[in-house]
Amino acid sequence: MAKRSILSEDEQQTEIDLSPMIDCIFILLIFFIVTTVFVEEKGLEVYKPDAAASVALDVDDDITLEITASNVVMLEGEEIRMADVTARVRATVRDDDIPVIIRAHEKAKHGIFVSVWDAAARGGAKNMSFSTIN
Amino acid sequence: MMRRSVLTDSEIAAEINLSPMIDCIFILLIFFIVTTVFVEEPGLEVSRPDATIDRDLERNSIIIAISAENKIVYGGKELGVAGVGARVRQLLTREDLPVIIQADTRSDHGIFSDVWSEVKNAGAKRISLSTLKD
Repeated sequence: MAKRSILSEDEQQTEIDLSPMIDCIFILLIFFIVTTVFVEEKGLEVYKPDAAASVALDVDDDITLEITASNVVMLEGEEIRMADVTARVRATVRDDDIPVIIRAHEKAKHGIFVSVWDAAARGGAKNMSFSTIN
Repeated sequence: MMRRSVLTDSEIAAEINLSPMIDCIFILLIFFIVTTVFVEEPGLEVSRPDATIDRDLERNSIIIAISAENKIVYGGKELGVAGVGARVRQLLTREDLPVIIQADTRSDHGIFSDVWSEVKNAGAKRISLSTLKD
């Protein structure tokens, strides 16, 4: 009698067949594994001066770094080396609000522009923007 | 005797407990769902400029590439400067995404500047330029 009751209990315990669900989950998993791309980008946020803001800007009160078509960096009309950009910017930017504008020739290389931007930012320039000359 | 043999049979058919496996698969699935971003990659190898003050950019972004030959590429297709604005405007209507410009070191600054202006006019709020991972 005791054995019988164990048997019937065993039969009553219905089990859900999980295999179709596992199949579905596997398909979803494979889809997400295949579509996942680990894009990791590093970069800088860059700005251009607004047309409205440039009117209010005092011309004497900014640093303009110029990049010529032959990839030469100029500060106040004289040529400077890339290694000196940081030091020159740091010497001039004493308070953070002095704007630094990089005026690059349209034929200048992008790599030089980014180097100058990076050097100026390392020199403590907070208010940075760029414009293009042709 | 008959009944006994049935009983032992069902005891021999040992079942593997699948629940821990399902748990693991679910965790994997959730991980991949959470990390998946559907970013359209430019499909172009760009030699990025190096910078020291760069930071990690948002993963889910619109990525526009500029090759060394000044070609503008989005999602594997070449675009003109005017096409960039239209494309970005169309993408921004769905979701407000930041824009990353991947310009090659050897590309001209003028092209970068044009693309930047187009993207800005299309209504992008955050525009970054891509730099080298280190």
